[in-house]
Amino acid sequence: MTCPYLSYRESADGKSFDEARAYCDAAERFVQPMRADICNDRFDLDHAEDCEIYLDHADADGHEADGDRGEGDDA
Amino acid sequence: MSYERFLADEPVVVTAALTGGIHGKEASPNLPETPEEIGQAAGEVEAAGASVVHVHARRDNGERAFSTERFQAIDEAIRRYTDDVVIQHTTGATQAPTEKRHLSLRTDPPPEMASLDMGPLNRYDRLTSENTLATVDALYDEMADRGIKPELEVFNDGHLNEVHGLLERRELTEPVYATLIFGPGTLTRPRPANFLNAVDNLPEGALFNTLGFGRHQLPFATMGILFGGNVRVGLEDNVYYREGELAESNAQLVERVVGIAEDLGREVADTSQARDVLGL
Repeated sequence: MTCPYLSYRESADGKSFDEARAYCDAAERFVQPMRADICNDRFDLDHAEDCEIYLDHADADGHEADGDRGEGDDA
Repeated sequence: MSYERFLADEPVVVTAALTGGIHGKEASPNLPETPEEIGQAAGEVEAAGASVVHVHARRDNGERAFSTERFQAIDEAIRRYTDDVVIQHTTGATQAPTEKRHLSLRTDPPPEMASLDMGPLNRYDRLTSENTLATVDALYDEMADRGIKPELEVFNDGHLNEVHGLLERRELTEPVYATLIFGPGTLTRPRPANFLNAVDNLPEGALFNTLGFGRHQLPFATMGILFGGNVRVGLEDNVYYREGELAESNAQLVERVVGIAEDLGREVADTSQARDVLGL
C-alpha cells in the first residue's frame, strides 16, 4: 500500500516536468526522489512508520486509503 | 602532512558529483537525471577541469535506480560526451537491499572507481543507511575482484576508525583514497579544526578528497586545495552557486573551484594525471 498523500504530477507549485513526479498532497510539494521510495513503500519501507510528514498529517486527516502506485523497484 | 603536497605542487583532482541519490529536479531543474543529461553534464565538467565523475542512476521520473542496465546506459552516454574522464559509480543506496548496491559494479567495462560508504548515517527523521562491516567488506571484495578502486566515504570521525579497520581486514591498493565529508546531521561538523583533525587521522600515505555539503562546499573545497587534498563539487552535494542563486550547471561549480585552485597556485589534474595520482 502506498501513501494516501502520494500522487504523480507533471506540474504543481509553479514547477513542471516532462515526466510525472512524486508529489506529496500533505506537504503540497514535489518530494525528493529518495523520499519517493518511502511514499511507494519500496524496499520494506513503510510510509506509516518511516515518513514524518505522513505521521504529522495522518491522524488529523483520518487517512488509510491507497495512493497512486509508482513504478516497481527494479528500474 | 598533507600541506607538503600543496608545497610540492601536486596536482589537485577535481571530482564532479553530477546527480546524487537524494534530491532531483524538484530542487534544481539543472540537475541531470536521464542518461543523456548525465552524459552531457559529464562532458561539460570534463571540459571545465573535472577528471572524475561520480555517478548515480535515476529513472526517467527522477527516482532512484540501481540496475546494472541503467548504469550501463549512463556510462555509454558519458563516453559519448567525454574524452577520457574517470567514471566513479556509487554503491550507496539508503534502505535499499544490499544486493542492489552491487549492481553498479557489474557494468561492462566496470567503472574505474566506486564509492564505499564507511559506516552508518541517518537520513530524514527515520531512515538510516546502515553500512555494516559485512556490507562494506562484501562491496570491497567485489570491487577488488573487478579491479575497481574504492573511494572510501568518511561521513564522520567514527568512519576514520572504519578506514583503519578496513585496512586491517583487507589489503588495499595504494594510495588509499578517502573522501572527508562535512555537513549537517550525521556528518562531521563543518569546522576547520574538524577538517584538520580528520586529515591528521587518515592512515599514513592516504590521499583525501574534500566534500562539503550545501554552503560548505566552497570553503571546504578551498581548504582541501590548500592542504594538499583533492576536491569534490557538484549538484549532488550543493545546488546553489551562492545564497539564493541556483547553480546553472555542474560545470559552473567545477569552473569556480578550478579557478580557486589556479589562483592558489595548484595545478588541476587532467585525466591522465588524475589516474597517476589515484593509482588507477
